[in-house]
Amino acid sequence: MQIKVVMAKLGLDIHWRGALVVSRMLRDEGMEVVYLGNQFPEQIVDAAIQEGADVIGLSTLGGNHLTLGPKVVQIAKEKGVDALVIMGGVIPEDDIPLLKEAGISEVFGPETRIESIASFIRSEVNQSIA
Amino acid sequence: MEDLIGSFEKKDNVSLGKMLKEVENQTPLSLEILKLSSFRKGKAHIIGVTGPPGSGKSTLVGKMCKKLATMDLRIGVVCVDPTSPFTKGALLGDRIRMQELAKLPNVFIKSLATRGNLGGLASSTADIVQVLDAYEMDVILIETVGVGQIEFDVLGVADTVLLVSVPGLGDTLQTLKAGIMEIADIYVINQADRPGADESVKDLNLMVKESGKREWSPPIHKTVATQDSGIDELIHDITAHKKYLERSGLWKEKRQTRNVTRLYSMIESLLAQRVEDHINREESLKAKVQDVMKGERDPYTTSHEIVDRLIAKHNSYQYGG
Amino acid sequence: MANNTTNQEKKLFDHEVVQEIEAQKKRWQENTLKGKDGEGQYYSDSGIPINLLYTPDDIKDVDYLKDIGFSGEAPYVRGVYPNMYRGRLFTVRQIAGFGTPEDTNERFKFLLKNGATGTSVVLDLPTIRGYDSDDPEAEGHVGAAGVAIDSIEDIEALYDGIPIEEVSSNIVTHLPSTTVVVMAMFAAHAEKKGIPLEKLSGTNQNDFLMETAIGSSLEVLPPKASFRLQCDAIEYASKNMPRWNPVSYNGYNLREAGTTAVQEVACAIANAIGTSEELIRRGNKIDDFAKRLSFFWNLFNDFFEEIAKCRASRLVWHEVMKDRFNAQHPKSHLMRFHVQTAGITLTKVEPLNNIARSAIQGLAAVLGGAQSLHVDSYDEAYSAPTEESALISIRTQQIIQAETNVVNTVDPLAGSYFVEKLTQDMAQRIRDYIAEIESKGGLVAAVESGWLHREISDFAYQMQKDIEDGKHKIVGLNYFPTEQSQTKVEVFRYPETAESRQKEKLEKLRKKRDKEKVERALAVLRQKCHEDVNLMPYIKEAVLEYATLGEIEEVFREEFGLWQFPLA
Ligand SMILES: Nc1nc2c(ncn2[C@@H]2O[C@H](COP(=O)(O)OP(=O)(O)O)[C@@H](O)[C@H]2O)c(=O)[nH]1
Ligand SMILES: [Mg+2]
Repeated sequence: MQIKVVMAKLGLDIHWRGALVVSRMLRDEGMEVVYLGNQFPEQIVDAAIQEGADVIGLSTLGGNHLTLGPKVVQIAKEKGVDALVIMGGVIPEDDIPLLKEAGISEVFGPETRIESIASFIRSEVNQSIA
Repeated sequence: MEDLIGSFEKKDNVSLGKMLKEVENQTPLSLEILKLSSFRKGKAHIIGVTGPPGSGKSTLVGKMCKKLATMDLRIGVVCVDPTSPFTKGALLGDRIRMQELAKLPNVFIKSLATRGNLGGLASSTADIVQVLDAYEMDVILIETVGVGQIEFDVLGVADTVLLVSVPGLGDTLQTLKAGIMEIADIYVINQADRPGADESVKDLNLMVKESGKREWSPPIHKTVATQDSGIDELIHDITAHKKYLERSGLWKEKRQTRNVTRLYSMIESLLAQRVEDHINREESLKAKVQDVMKGERDPYTTSHEIVDRLIAKHNSYQYGG
Repeated sequence: MANNTTNQEKKLFDHEVVQEIEAQKKRWQENTLKGKDGEGQYYSDSGIPINLLYTPDDIKDVDYLKDIGFSGEAPYVRGVYPNMYRGRLFTVRQIAGFGTPEDTNERFKFLLKNGATGTSVVLDLPTIRGYDSDDPEAEGHVGAAGVAIDSIEDIEALYDGIPIEEVSSNIVTHLPSTTVVVMAMFAAHAEKKGIPLEKLSGTNQNDFLMETAIGSSLEVLPPKASFRLQCDAIEYASKNMPRWNPVSYNGYNLREAGTTAVQEVACAIANAIGTSEELIRRGNKIDDFAKRLSFFWNLFNDFFEEIAKCRASRLVWHEVMKDRFNAQHPKSHLMRFHVQTAGITLTKVEPLNNIARSAIQGLAAVLGGAQSLHVDSYDEAYSAPTEESALISIRTQQIIQAETNVVNTVDPLAGSYFVEKLTQDMAQRIRDYIAEIESKGGLVAAVESGWLHREISDFAYQMQKDIEDGKHKIVGLNYFPTEQSQTKVEVFRYPETAESRQKEKLEKLRKKRDKEKVERALAVLRQKCHEDVNLMPYIKEAVLEYATLGEIEEVFREEFGLWQFPLA
């Protein structure tokens, strides 16, 4: 099945480069990527609902990951969306456990190969379908 | 099943999103969804927006939605972007032009990848639109891929077709000259803040006139989507076109034609599937296909033989002979 | 550019000598080198072919006096001041900015005590984007990646106890919309303290590309409006704050977003050209403001290319000012720039390696003749620098200043056949790219149409691919990949209470100020947005009445409209 990803920059975050490059490369990995630009949690979840997204990708550099990241997961839960939520960007090591606890499936640093993001997505999405 | 019917009644976005996902992926469940939605559809005004890439279709759709949303209408948007033929992936970027809509509860946007379909839409587009229609959307806007050519698929789905181009028409003009005037119900020269807009309008006007008198003479609009300018007038004419369709009986006629077209296309694809299954089951037929492949048999005779055989078999089965 | 001048005497080398060298070079290639010049082609990071060996014939067309010259004289290739660092060392700038203005004020004092020679502040995202700390959009961002500024009171707290008439103040405002407000607050604050505006020295970033091409946001001002505010700030400073640099054309962030060194410089100069044309249209004279235009470069690891870039950028700027704008004042001809080492080249793996990277980049900046320098801290791939890592950055600069002796002679790499050739090549590519931008209708139009975004996006995409394919080598990542699992880095924690403290102050302010006066000032500003006037004085009036940054920028958003930039 085609995997559909909704990709967003989180909140006011600036610098679009990361999210767009990742989007283009996930496309190269054969996925359908809906690029949202900057959005806030509520709107990101709404877009995921409308698009039937398997994955919500959040990109952040602005230090808002601990506040806005978990919020996406929480709103998704409340609305009954079961998409995989992943996050990328500059995120301190110590915060990763906190994010995972809050329901973010995986956190990718700036040096992650896109291939490995793609294979993570594939295995998780296929598991949840099976 | 019960759930599905329930969700048609409830009309919540979460269930709609889930149903559209089934339809988009053409899962077994999607057939049930389509059966159900088939009787509920028919009320929405379906507007196709076509035109070359970069002409501002997404921006324009965004602004039209914003306006329509204030008129207390429920709006569905379907945006189609191309699938990469090499990787099968797609980057669906139209939503970024519609960020203003993100907070409007009465707008529902679905992005589709063409997944190999060539006519400017995804093959699931008509089905997606049907479900949105059944969900009692008042207006459904479809943005085509816009690969540069006029895209005919949208004619089969939309009631009103907008052709968006930019000053200094170029390519669009060429296609129009090729005699495909009928495609659009409304012409839009977007990016009218750029030089040459008035000339383009003039040129278009001339062509509309040349194409002869028709009951609905396509109006030509100048817009600057980025500045929200010309949108009210455009919506006014879209509404006028709807009224014209209703008045002339075309509204009903289009829907009936679409139903029948749908029936025939379903029959076609079912038949194709059956024939293929049939060939795969019978060694003698498979061998014939091989012969055609090698050029030892001609496809004209062989196709008749295969279809006749299928029908004969079917009859003998039916009548017990 | 040196070309067909017939006067052989002016060339660096005698014609016959060059011919002899060329002949000998052929011989050397055949007899000694024997084709062993390495596998495939070598290129600099911006795609300039690199030879194995450079000799005088590579720069045979260079006319020393015309194309290189002396420091402090045209064409300024060798540096903008005659005695360069002997006269004045480069300014050691370390950016600080987090939490409330009170928090950052403390860090300022720490850095100044340890030898920083100016302050440099970054603002948090809500401030940059024009939202107050109590705006719902600001949630989670207040004081996070920079300091929060809401009103003139915050500027007062930020510079409390800092002699702004003596140490220079760099304010990283990024966007023109932020610049005009913060600069107005800064000026108003000085006046309130009785410091004449002429005494203020410092820099604002102020680049419309940051607003419309590099940063992303739900809501940005359209390129034309942002460009107008950029010009307003520059015009205002050139008339009232003679020691202030009202713009630092931001090649830096363009480069981080995804461009080559050539594109970085060309875009910045194209922006300065656009500014100059606009200010002249407004009736200013080129020499009134040109000397206040400053630049901001990003230095990556391609050592010689970066040095050549610094030299070439001065050369091209001189040509632009002299030939195109006919500027008369020598100060209008010289390009001053700040350098920050490349944050994007820092790795999360083996973070201490970043100290080496930053030191090399910092050294290149000094060899390139930078006026001020910020060396990135090794932990920048993790968070804002800690006090410890910020100190290492300062120390790195002090080591360059005091231990390497590179500051003792001007432009020490001049005369290297390679560096001179590369300088000429870079300059030509910069000129060509400026011409390309102009063929798109100038920089504002190139942004409006999305052309520049595509250039950036394509580059960034290609770069990521090259990294993943190992074509672009990064130590510890794809070249000798690290075996360490994770390095423990002590990360800097933003003060968590910043948001609530900032909101509290704001609430008090909103209560105590004269609401009517605020509204009147904002109404005047609103009206002036539609007139062909400089908005700075009206913004200053508003901040003096304690209008907040968010309120002022809301006026801009309403009057200029919002623009979504052409991505994807
Ligand atoms: N100058 C100008 N630019 C516009 C206008 N409408 C859209 N654009 C810009 O044109 C680019 C392409 O727009 P988009 O809506 O994505 O076009 P699409 O590919 O047809 O969907 C974007 O950068 C828009 O901001 C307009 O009326 N005037
Ligand atoms: Mg589009």
